[in-house]
Formats: sequence, C-alpha cells, structure tokens
Amino acid sequence: MDFKKAVKDFWYGKPHTAEDGGRRLGENYLPKTGLYKHREWRGVKDTFYYFHNIWMYNYLHMVMDVMKYGGLVNFAKGVWRYRWVGQTYLPVLHWFDRGLEGMRGEALRGSAWHYRAMVNATIYQFMAMFNADTRLHGGKKNDAWYHTMSMKETVWGGMFYGWRDKFKAVALEMIPYFVTCHVNSHTVHNYIDAVQSIGLPGDPCPMCQAEAGLFVLDDVPDYSPFMITCNEACDGSVGTAILQDWFNDKPLYALQMPMIFDDPLANKFVQKDIEKCWKFIEDQTGVPMNFDLMCEYIERQNELQKFEWEKWEVAAKTNSYPINGVAQALYRIYQSQFGDLPIWHEVDGHVRKIMERAVRNKTNTFPNTRHRVIAWSCAPLYYSNWCTWAYNTWGLNVVINMDSLMFDMTIRTDSYENMLEDVAQYHMWAPMRRMAVGGIHHIFELWDYMERFDCDMVAMYDQLQCKGMQGVHGLFEDEFRDRNIPAFWIPHALPDSRTVSRAEIRRLINDYMTTVMHEEPLDPSLLELDDDFTW
Amino acid sequence: MKKFIRRALCLGGVTYAALFVVFFFDLDGKLLFNVVEPFLKNHYDNMERKDMLTTPYDMDKFPDYKYNEIH
Repeated sequence: MDFKKAVKDFWYGKPHTAEDGGRRLGENYLPKTGLYKHREWRGVKDTFYYFHNIWMYNYLHMVMDVMKYGGLVNFAKGVWRYRWVGQTYLPVLHWFDRGLEGMRGEALRGSAWHYRAMVNATIYQFMAMFNADTRLHGGKKNDAWYHTMSMKETVWGGMFYGWRDKFKAVALEMIPYFVTCHVNSHTVHNYIDAVQSIGLPGDPCPMCQAEAGLFVLDDVPDYSPFMITCNEACDGSVGTAILQDWFNDKPLYALQMPMIFDDPLANKFVQKDIEKCWKFIEDQTGVPMNFDLMCEYIERQNELQKFEWEKWEVAAKTNSYPINGVAQALYRIYQSQFGDLPIWHEVDGHVRKIMERAVRNKTNTFPNTRHRVIAWSCAPLYYSNWCTWAYNTWGLNVVINMDSLMFDMTIRTDSYENMLEDVAQYHMWAPMRRMAVGGIHHIFELWDYMERFDCDMVAMYDQLQCKGMQGVHGLFEDEFRDRNIPAFWIPHALPDSRTVSRAEIRRLINDYMTTVMHEEPLDPSLLELDDDFTW
Repeated sequence: MKKFIRRALCLGGVTYAALFVVFFFDLDGKLLFNVVEPFLKNHYDNMERKDMLTTPYDMDKFPDYKYNEIH
C-alpha cells in the first residue's frame, strides 16, 4: 500500500483521472437503485462541507421551511393525501447528490446554493396549497383559499405581482408535476398513464399528458376559487386546459399566447389580453391590480436578472464560473418562471460571494474541462443531471443552456404603457415558446450564443414527442455540418423516462465521444451504469 | 455543572458521529428507498379516488368572461 498516496487521497480526495488511483464514482453505487454504498469521499474539506453545509443544513432548513410556511400538521396531511409530495419530495437530498456528484471547491458550493433555493421555493408553494386546500380542511373554504390564485405553470408568476400584498399565486402543476420529474422520475408515470387510461393517445407531449393526468387521478389540491390557463407552449396545452376546465370546474380565464410573437401587433394583442386577465382577477377577488406594487416586484425581479447577466459574463469569459450545468439550468428556469421570492435574493448573495472569490483567485472551477458545451432545446426532466455525469465521465462542461437564456430582458417600470409592453414581451418569451416552437429565428440564436459563451460543442436535445421541435431536426443537422460544429443529440420524452432511458442517453454520448471525437473517458466506471430503479 | 457539560459534550459527540455515519453510508437514502417509499406507494395505490369522469362538464355554469370593453 502506498501510504503517502492514501494520506493524500484522504486529505484531498482521489484525483479525477482515468489513470490508476483515480476516483471511480461508478463503484460507489448499489446496482440498479442509484443508492450509494457510501457517499463520495471528496477530501476532508469538501466532504465536511457537504456534510455540514449541504446535507445537515438542507435537512434542517427543510423542516424550518415547512414550519414557517404552514406547520408540520398541514405537511403531514399533504403527504398522506398527495402522491406527488410523499413519493417525490422526501428523498430530495438524493437529488442534490445526483446533481453535485464529483463537484469540488467553489463549484460544489455555488451549485449547492442553487438547489437550496429551489427546495425553499418548492416548499413555499406546496405549503401554500396545503394551507388553503379544502380537502385537507374538512371541505372548508378558509381565508387562505380565498387569497390564493391558481394558474397553469406556463404562466409567468409575475403576472400577479399587482396582488402580492394580499394574495399568493401558485401554479397548478409546477410542484405536482414539473419539479417532481427532476427529484423522483417515477412519480409522473402515474399521471401519464392515468390520462391515457381515459382514452388519450400516447403520442401528444407527455408534459401536457402528465398535467392533465394529475386531474384525472384527482391529485390536485383545491386551493383557489378560480384559475388562469394558457395555450403555451402549444396546442397540447390547450388540450390540457380543456380537461382542467372539466375536472377543476371553476371560473377560468384562458390567457392567450400567439404563435407569431415578434410582430408588434401581436404584442398589442397580448397587452390587451393581459389587461382582460387582470380584469377577470379583479372580478373574482374584488381587488384591482395595484400598479405600484406591480412595479415594486418587477424591480426586485430586475435585480435578479441583472445578477444573472453578471453570472453569464463570468461563465462566458472566464474558467471560474462556479455553477454546474444542471444547477444553472434548473435554478434559472425556476426563478425566471416563478418570479420574485426572497430566497432568490438570499441565494444570489451567497453565490455572488463565491463567484467573486473564484474570479479573484482565478480558480479553475471545472479543471477537467475538455469541451465547453452549450445545451439547446428542452432537456429531459428525468435526467437533468446528465451534464454532471458528462463532466465526470468525459470532461464535457455544460456552460450554458437554452432554458437559461429565454427571458433575457428586464422590464421597464417608468410608465404603465412601458410596463405592460414589456410584461407582454416577457410573457411571450416563455419556456418552450421563444426558442422551441416559437420559430426558426429564435431557435437559431444558438450560433450567436455559442460564440458569446465560447463554446465548441452542442448538446442538442431531441424531445421525441414535441412535433414542433421534430420539424427542425433536419435543419439543425444541415447547419451543424455546414458550420463544422461537433454536436450530439439527446433523444428523450421530457418527463417520461420509459421512452429513452438514462442508460440509453449515456450510451449515445459515449458512442459519440469514442467514435466521432476519439476521446478516452476520465472515469471509466461511469460509462455503463444500471440505475433504472433510481429516483 | 462540570458533569452536565461533560455529558452534554458526550451526547453531542455521539449524535454528531451517528449523523455522519447516516450521511456517509447513505442510510437516509436506503431507509427512504427501501421502507418509506414502498409504504407510501402502497398507500397511494390503494387510496379511494373520485371518478373524475363523472364530473359534469358544465359549459354554461360561469359567465362568459370576454371583457370586450377593454378594446
């Protein structure tokens, strides 16, 4: 035994290398389950950082959040009543583990803060649902029920800032569906199968299927007197809204989003529609939209956007960006879609300190980077941490992704007219619209962003059940060839891990890296894993 | 007082060590995966649920929210 190396490995952790004596993260797993024989030893400093500042800190703060936002009794009732919370959110620390695997130093710290923010925002929302839910309170419509608004998850939360002093706005599916897929990929299968069991064919967008399936299984809390639906991202969402209208049986306003949205006339149309939506809310609640309050929260959100731009500058121009691909993607889409919350500001403060320290010390946060990758189109929700695996296995560092870049704007508050125009623009730049089914101009912004973020490779998502994106597959193939850009495809069915498994995604990337790029893995133990049963 | 402090420190030390063992050997994950989740899944699978297809689709239950006056 090499005693000197053993001491060094204990103190610093094993090196990230394919050579003998390098770390072998794949050997930590128990077969099939994705559970660990033991969690990774990252060296003394980082292992205890993980133990204290991530594992203990987050377990403790989850309990504190639950107590702060409504109490343990409401939480326990919710867990007992709703599959999506009990089956999904209890093992949330494993979600951290998967996303932060192999991370060290500033990258570990910065990325973990992003996860903390998402956990807080999730608890805030499901506790708001449970506090108001008539099903958990003997059928009674309590004060919280009258002061909570519900909307489809594709409606930006900022649309309701004008009522923030008196009302909470909680999306119908963001927590019961969208976030669950990342944390426990199996829960959503129940909802997809449920909607197909009443006769829906299997080929529409599985996101829309799952959203409707929640209602088919009667698994959505009754927490609000009315709801706002939206046709974003596509006609699949219209289908979902019809089923929601049927099963939810409440006053409904269908907020519209035109398919052609660069046209100024379309912006004017959306402005009018947003005003109608606000009028509908006023009629339902008896409270008009408060313009000053709206501006106050928009300004807070603008602060978040300005810091995001600073982060992008560091990601684009240095090797010191301390956020990994999955933390960047999930935090950003969550924050920009939900809208302002105190936790985003708190976490941005922590991340700013970490990022500034990394830049000041010129820390190479991802020292084994072989390729700077941009990930484009919609990601597989059940394997959003594929980029952590790709960095550990191949040195593929996903610097930025499409979801992060969609809401690339601040909103003016100097006048009602300017505010409304920008709110309409923000609404129309929604996920899966601007850079997915929103037309060729925006989806080809990929080339500009590739240059801006100094990327040399593209990870191209291929949502097999998105008819819009399937239509541009060949165009991308042609462009990649013409521009001589190395690109690999990641086929998937958004939330449904049964169509293309995580193992299949890894196999496709492995094949590309060996047969096209002729590269050797950094950690051969990660090439093939059997993790079918894992969360 | 000294005895109390010694006991408190001992208890704290044992708790800390036990938590580290739970963390390092992923005992929280193993408990959730092998015990808690199967128990809850069994509960959810056997829950009585409302047959949502019996909900009438009341097309005219609520007013027509057109707000044409905003034009």
